[in-house]
Amino acid sequence: MDTLLDIRNLSLDFRTTRGRVKALRDISFPVRKGRIIGIVGESGSGKSTILWSIMGLLAGNAEVTGGEILFEDRNMLTLSESSRRAARGEEISVVFQDPMTSQIPVLTYARQMFDILYRRPNLSRAQKREAAIDMMRRVGIPDPEARVDQYPHQFSGGMRQRAGIAMALLTGPKLLLADEPTTALDVTMEAQIIHLLQGLQSEFGATIVVVSHNLGLIAELCDDVVVMYAGEVIEAGEVHDIFHHARHPYTRALLECDPARVEKVTRRLPVIPGDIPDLTRPRKGCIYSPRCQRAMPTCHDVDPPTAATAPGQFARCHLLEGPHADPTWPPPASVLTVGRGTEDLPPRPDPAGTPLLDVRDLNVRFRTMGPIRARLRGIDDPFVDAVLDVSLSVRPGETVGLVGESGSGKTTLGRTILNLLRSEAGTATFEGQDIRNMPESRFKPLRRDMAMMFQDPVGSLSPRKSVRALITEPLLIHGITGRDLDVEAERLADMVRLPKPFLTRYPHELSGGQARRVGVARALALNPKLIIADEPTAGLDVSVQGEILNLMAELQAEHGLSYLIITHNLPVIRHIADRLAIMYLGRIVEQGPTGAIFANPLHPYTQALVEGVPKPDPDRRRKHVSISGEVPSLLRRPPGCDFATRCPYVQDRCRVEKPPHFDAPAGRQHACLFPLTHN
Amino acid sequence: MRESAARERREKLKLFLTNWQGVFGLILVLLFFASAIFAPWIAPYDPNAIDIPARLSKPSAIHLAGTDQLGRDTFSRILYGGRVALKIAAIGVSVSLVVGLLLGMIAGFGPRWLDNLLLLVFDTVRAFPTVILALATVALTGPSLAVVLAIVIVTSIPSYARIARTAALSLRNTDFIMAERSLGAGLGRILWHHVTPNVMGPLLILGAMDVPVIVTVEAGLSFLGLGVLPPTASWGTILNEGYLVIRDTPWMVIAGGIPLILTTLGFTFLGEALRDVFDPRMGRGR
Amino acid sequence: MTAYLFKRLGLSMAVVLAVVVVLFSLLHMIPGDPATIALGPRATPEAIARYAAKMHLDQPVWKQLVIYVGNAVTGDLGVDVFSERPVTTMILERLGFSMSLVFAGMGWAAVLGIPLGCLAAVKPNTWLDWITGVISVATIAVPSFLVSIWALLIFAVGLRWLPAIGAGEPGDLGDQFLHLIMPAFAVGLGWVGYLARMVRASMLEVMGEPYIRSARAFGLKPNKVIFGYALRVAILPTITLIGMGFGGLISATVFAEIIFARPGIGKLIFDSVMARNFPVVQGAVLVATALYILVVLISDILIAMLDPRVRDSL
Repeated sequence: MDTLLDIRNLSLDFRTTRGRVKALRDISFPVRKGRIIGIVGESGSGKSTILWSIMGLLAGNAEVTGGEILFEDRNMLTLSESSRRAARGEEISVVFQDPMTSQIPVLTYARQMFDILYRRPNLSRAQKREAAIDMMRRVGIPDPEARVDQYPHQFSGGMRQRAGIAMALLTGPKLLLADEPTTALDVTMEAQIIHLLQGLQSEFGATIVVVSHNLGLIAELCDDVVVMYAGEVIEAGEVHDIFHHARHPYTRALLECDPARVEKVTRRLPVIPGDIPDLTRPRKGCIYSPRCQRAMPTCHDVDPPTAATAPGQFARCHLLEGPHADPTWPPPASVLTVGRGTEDLPPRPDPAGTPLLDVRDLNVRFRTMGPIRARLRGIDDPFVDAVLDVSLSVRPGETVGLVGESGSGKTTLGRTILNLLRSEAGTATFEGQDIRNMPESRFKPLRRDMAMMFQDPVGSLSPRKSVRALITEPLLIHGITGRDLDVEAERLADMVRLPKPFLTRYPHELSGGQARRVGVARALALNPKLIIADEPTAGLDVSVQGEILNLMAELQAEHGLSYLIITHNLPVIRHIADRLAIMYLGRIVEQGPTGAIFANPLHPYTQALVEGVPKPDPDRRRKHVSISGEVPSLLRRPPGCDFATRCPYVQDRCRVEKPPHFDAPAGRQHACLFPLTHN
Repeated sequence: MRESAARERREKLKLFLTNWQGVFGLILVLLFFASAIFAPWIAPYDPNAIDIPARLSKPSAIHLAGTDQLGRDTFSRILYGGRVALKIAAIGVSVSLVVGLLLGMIAGFGPRWLDNLLLLVFDTVRAFPTVILALATVALTGPSLAVVLAIVIVTSIPSYARIARTAALSLRNTDFIMAERSLGAGLGRILWHHVTPNVMGPLLILGAMDVPVIVTVEAGLSFLGLGVLPPTASWGTILNEGYLVIRDTPWMVIAGGIPLILTTLGFTFLGEALRDVFDPRMGRGR
Repeated sequence: MTAYLFKRLGLSMAVVLAVVVVLFSLLHMIPGDPATIALGPRATPEAIARYAAKMHLDQPVWKQLVIYVGNAVTGDLGVDVFSERPVTTMILERLGFSMSLVFAGMGWAAVLGIPLGCLAAVKPNTWLDWITGVISVATIAVPSFLVSIWALLIFAVGLRWLPAIGAGEPGDLGDQFLHLIMPAFAVGLGWVGYLARMVRASMLEVMGEPYIRSARAFGLKPNKVIFGYALRVAILPTITLIGMGFGGLISATVFAEIIFARPGIGKLIFDSVMARNFPVVQGAVLVATALYILVVLISDILIAMLDPRVRDSL
């Protein structure tokens, strides 16, 4: 098979004030023509740096210290800048991670695409425009003749990424690089973009390199996989081999940690202990050895051998080759090689009796324009319903998952329950007490019983306060005296397994996982009964995610906490929630026990979500995308069922009639006129 | 492992000290403070002592910066003039910074109508070119140091208030302020413990950059005869008197201008160095 | 866009109105008889009486304000206390001298400062960048009135190259140009450095944006990336700065007019302040301020035209 791109022994340093960061070390792998290759790794593994090295667009402080990047036998590293520029955009093109920031806001798409085609002097202006429109149509942008003259901010997120793909493919490049192409998008959009890339690849016959941390996307899209860890390629091979017969302990651990791959519902997720090594320090032996579940003394001193089975298929590990080879490694897929922390938890208290939190028909409305302008424009009702008739309850000791895409109103609902936003109508009771729109002075004592964890682990910590000040602040706010604050700080840090030296640090000096622990400690400081957690695992790597979820589960068992977990991450919530509520455009469309909802969703939207998550298993690729389109703006709420515009099973009645909430057997509810039936 | 906070502070100090412009600025600023504060001890002559025989003399060992039309020692007058400049700058910057911070936070965290009203007030004040407003006011009140100070404060407040307001508005909906509210922190605590520390940095940097502006306004108005009145020594009055005798001797307008330039240079360098060290997002590129 | 235009226009009118109110209340905030304060102690009782009648000082304050605003809208800004000439006429006679100075000053500063900033940003940490930095600091550090004085000292008194005072013979464009050189130099000098720094900082920031990397990833030529993409965005804050900076520019113009005895609005205000001729001060200040607000309005509209996000934000 032809090799289009061959990376050989690439090494690269970043010069920083802390010293030289050895960001890439001895990277070698081939990219075969007509294939989709995925580079997978956690944050800090150097996977994006490879892309920028191929393009020759590295940051100013980067220095290539060795190796070559052969693109059709041209070494991209030694090529002159003008020849490299000739290849960029024409032969090699890129799809960027965040279409919001990677497209110039002040130029129309027509203009941007016209600029990309500057090397085609034989095309007239009209022909270039035609080419742009044609490409926008092929990536699935409706009405491209008109939309090509629009600016990026006039496109929705998903459409903007489609436009980004159109721009990348405009010149018909031989090699397409995609940097986390779906990370900024919602689940249902992600599925569509994966499908689009697959279709375009077979249509154009391009070779694609995808960089992602998302194992599901890699399994669904790629033919070959390169696994990176801390700046090294530790394993490479065909997608089936990697996902079913991973040979490197890290690949094994990474796969085992992915909650989407853990079939059996479990409260405890596997974790890889430890942190990514500091790349400024000199390294000896295997880079993964400090965290490796099978580390041997040799691993810390001697570089691992490269055990190749075929060209471009190898793993670097002492267990596979040489004097320390272990013929029993790798064990069969059913054997778990990484631990799940401590032993199993005691059975959880049976959720029973009166709910701790009970929300009935809650409505939250946001003003869209001032009263004067509304009058001028003849709009009677200048509001949007961010949360519409939501009923939800959380019982003591229970974990309820609130699931939805961005714009579904799930975060708004969480903040409204905590009286951070005002609600329009409905009731909200906590331990039988009506708390809706309660004045802050009366609500303040209740804040000791209800705590919140915010989405951004670092951003939700006041940046100029030390960890010690942050975790003891709740005690000060609520005037709890007579306790030694230093002792309290150490007790709380201990509770969330945060080492004591961290107490003197500031938020920006913490990693995502550490900052999340501080957030948990703050929430726990006042012994609350209910914790509302907004995306507790957002922005965390797979291996860290498990640690936080396990910690939350342990604390629940110890303190009898209830959780309301707001998330878009279905694979994770499947393992931790007792019950789920699915939100769409501010309404709960389905509610019920987690297992039942995953097994047989009643609402088509739930089904789309459940199927929308790409499975980290190349044998279970989807043949089609279940729903199309994007979440409509709250300003344009459909007259009938909210989901009617995207529903694959839509009927005429759905377009005119807003479905009420129906009760279904086994404690389930849904809001669909024609619920799905499962045999 | 990451650095500790103390080490980071040390590194910032090191970063500042390796910035030659910053150190140079700091030296000039310290010189400005010292010369103004210790003027009575440093000055070789009484700034108002008239010595007609020595009038309009050139700089010499006896009169370092020459003398004016009444034979007063220009160097001594410059030192004493620095006291006026320092007084105006110190009071002007501190009062407008504090008032601006308060108004900005009220605008940012208060109700919408109050925000709009304050914005209109800020915009109105900013709509007056400083010197024009000063002229209009002095036309009614007559010249005095107090009027100059009042004008400096009134015209400076909107820029501080705007920065504080923008910062407060952007902080208002951040996760960490929401997190504080979810814990039950009151408005006072939020503003004092969590907003002010994050706004103070840019405000202090603006303050450092604002000192030369204020000093210049004072000197300019005094130059026009609308600020500090003779015989009080001020850099502006020295320039004014020098301007009147410019065809006889160049030394007064030269000597009177140099301290203005040095002060501007000092505070500009210092402010920029502080900004580069503490707020790397502003200004500096890769 | 139309909605945006109307909103900005409305806001500007509100500010102009507020400015009138401030100017008007200044007179009434000082304790004492307004007519005596406005005209000063040397004014004759007849002049005071005439002024009181003309300004309707016997009426309640709010009514005086309404009358003043009404007159101002129709172009009547009152009369000179001494000569009884209409203030509007006096201002119109001198407006040209001030406008030519303001635009000449800003013009040469922009023509030099913006490209300098661009070049420095494109080649950071080179000798060109370094020179630009030195020039910027040097020009910013010298207050404009000091530049005026020193320019007068060097070029008029010392070298005798340029005329020192006045605006030149009426009708003699060459002479008028010669008289414009020094004031325009003084007014614009600080802006050269200011604009260069601003453009440099803004360019460097934009050059670090992901969309600039995208443009380079699509293989666009460096000049296209710098001038077609980066400058297209980086110029926006610069336009705002120029608009806002007109306030400082007007202040600088006042000094330049006084120092070079150029018969513009600034000189008119200054002379009227010295003569305690408050109606003239009031009218001229109002016109100067309104012009400044107009410039800010124009810069805002220009930005809305160049930045579709601003245009659609309404």
